[in-house]
Amino acid sequence: MIEDNCAYNGIPLPNVTSKILSKVIDYCKKHVETPKLDECATTVDDELKAWDADFFKVDQATLFDLILAANYLNIKSLLDLTCQIVADMIEGKTPEEIRKTFNIKNDFTPEEEDEVSGENQWAFE
Amino acid sequence: MATRFENNRGVESLDLLPSALLATIIAKLDVASICSCASTCKTFNACISQILSFIPTFQLIEIAPSMDLLRPLMPPNPYLRSLKVDCNRLDDSAIQTLVNPSLHELCLLNCSDFSGKLLSEIGGMCKNLRSLCLGSVAENRGRAIHTSDLEELLGGCAQLEALNLMFDVSLFLRHNFARVWTLASEKLTSLEIGYISSIMVTELLSPNLGLHQSPNHIRPSILPSIQKLCLSVDYITDTMVNTISRGLVSLIYLDLRDAPLIEPSVTLDLTNAGLQQINQHGKLKHLSLIRSQEYLFTYFRRVNDLGLLLLADNCANMESICLGGFCRVTDSGFKTIFHSCSKLLKLKVSHGIQLTDLVFHDISATSLSLLHVSLRWCNLLTNQAVANLACNKDLKILDLRCCRNLGDEALRAIRNLTRLKVLLLDGSDISDMGLSFLKPRVIQSLVSLSVRGCKRLTDKCISALFDGCSVTELQELDLSNLPNLSDNGVLFLAKCRIPLLELRMRQCPLIGDTSIMALASMLVDEERWHGNSLRLLDLFNCGGITQLSFRWLKKPYFPRLRWLGVTGCVNRDMVDALARSRPFLHVACHGEELGAEQWDGSVGLYTLDHDEVDELEQWLQEGEGDTDDEEMGDAENNVEPME
Repeated sequence: MIEDNCAYNGIPLPNVTSKILSKVIDYCKKHVETPKLDECATTVDDELKAWDADFFKVDQATLFDLILAANYLNIKSLLDLTCQIVADMIEGKTPEEIRKTFNIKNDFTPEEEDEVSGENQWAFE
Repeated sequence: MATRFENNRGVESLDLLPSALLATIIAKLDVASICSCASTCKTFNACISQILSFIPTFQLIEIAPSMDLLRPLMPPNPYLRSLKVDCNRLDDSAIQTLVNPSLHELCLLNCSDFSGKLLSEIGGMCKNLRSLCLGSVAENRGRAIHTSDLEELLGGCAQLEALNLMFDVSLFLRHNFARVWTLASEKLTSLEIGYISSIMVTELLSPNLGLHQSPNHIRPSILPSIQKLCLSVDYITDTMVNTISRGLVSLIYLDLRDAPLIEPSVTLDLTNAGLQQINQHGKLKHLSLIRSQEYLFTYFRRVNDLGLLLLADNCANMESICLGGFCRVTDSGFKTIFHSCSKLLKLKVSHGIQLTDLVFHDISATSLSLLHVSLRWCNLLTNQAVANLACNKDLKILDLRCCRNLGDEALRAIRNLTRLKVLLLDGSDISDMGLSFLKPRVIQSLVSLSVRGCKRLTDKCISALFDGCSVTELQELDLSNLPNLSDNGVLFLAKCRIPLLELRMRQCPLIGDTSIMALASMLVDEERWHGNSLRLLDLFNCGGITQLSFRWLKKPYFPRLRWLGVTGCVNRDMVDALARSRPFLHVACHGEELGAEQWDGSVGLYTLDHDEVDELEQWLQEGEGDTDDEEMGDAENNVEPME
């Protein structure tokens, strides 16, 4: 652990690129620095939300990398937020629209597709 | 050391994420979106069958699933904490699936086909339940519900904190009913009942008044921890109000509403004396007293300014006050409430027939910071009142429906309310130009906007509202009863690409097929098309709708539409065919209002298709003044002198 002075050479993170790591650090710094004052709670909250909205305007590959990094580094709030963003991108869409958004290949056979669509028809009439 | 991603290329496609992370994402979706996902590819399909067995929250109220549909969606799940289902198509056979021992929160709506067994099973199985809401239980003929079922429910759920019985409990046996509540959990802090008689309430709580008790046999208090009480009763009476106020020592939130079937006599009514008794323990923060005109034109005849003065004495800590049907109260009564409640956040007055601008005259001098103001059917209000109210910069909800005299100047004042989420201006005298005041700041924060019945509005109001702005927050728009709104207006609306969830255009004679085509082809963004965003579309009595429209209401258009309002008698065959091809679409043909009921008091929000004149006001003015003074006299004799 860091307390035992094992980290004097740095901590290796083989699963995170430097580009993603720098974004994660930016996020953590911003969220640590923002004070939680009761009186101006709403304004501070709004500002932070606006900053977050801007921060996550990235392409999908980066977004998925952020999810993986947050998971690997065990940063719960970042993981929660990034997963919610992806969930919001799925919410309310028909299967065809979801496939288009995420470039997912439809690997059902026509029979399988009929069956699955039939079961879930109610969701996207 | 082996690495997972040798080239650090990471993941480029959603379905390549590890399944645990996919599960985290999918568990955040509503059930419809989960099923939509399941149909995209094999990976998701497999993932989702697993996810449904550990998902913590399951909510399905946009459609009423049949048992066949529900069963595969609810495999055995020991992690399920919160469940909310529309049970309109279910009955007792669904109980085993729905009643899960791990539940903390359970909300089952439209349980008309269930019997009282539902309650006893919940009591038997759901020992960890904290919050329970049951709607319309056993309302269908042939379904029985007994006091013993309620007994098992209350006795079994020992951790229950919130209970909402949204049905008529006055059918339970009266003498057993009171006794049964001694079994209720001591942690019960919130109780709402859909309908109960005031006599039953009084009987239920009278043990708490400590009368007729011998010193050797002190009975324990009934419902000792109740902080929130919401009741819908037959008559709000002084006795009931007194019993509640004295008997519930922790009461913070009191909501009483009645709908008299016959004119209440002096012993069965609320008078000034009753108002004096409210908040005896000083903890009340929210008070709502509403008399509804559902069955009869009536109001609180025996309450006048004196009653409000007496109420205001106990009001210093109140945060929310809702008064409906206090037609004899004038400015001095309302103003006293204002000046006494320095912490007021929410004010709702409906049928404030004598309420004028004077009440808000010096509101800017107070330290009030209102968040929610609702002044409905207050026809004496003018733009000046709104200008004064607008000094509350944090206002989120402004409901000024059926205040005929409000016009463009009111909108000018509203333009500075940048936090406004809900703005309802039904029946006011605004024009297209006035609506342009809402650009750009207010329109970009609004979630719900209604200009129903604002007869001066034309197609230009759409461009006045939306032209040149990117509007992403607006979800509900009500353009009903606008005689000059035509297809051109709707075409422009569709071009604005606002991701609306609810659009109402009832009784607009110039709206026709072109509007439907425009909405159906609306591209909200690159990823959602075919009018995807709309969940509710009300076209009742729109003059230009012909058979052609129905082609645009079928698949693949409007894929997520759940509520549709049309005129059923015209195009009867097409309506039936549509309802058959889209079994999960609620089609309303008789002009009823659309949307799931809301139980925060907005039931009855739209029940009157608003006409120019408030009928209650007219009836009052037509002279039933003679009887009033007599009744006031009786009531005044009952007011106790203040200590």
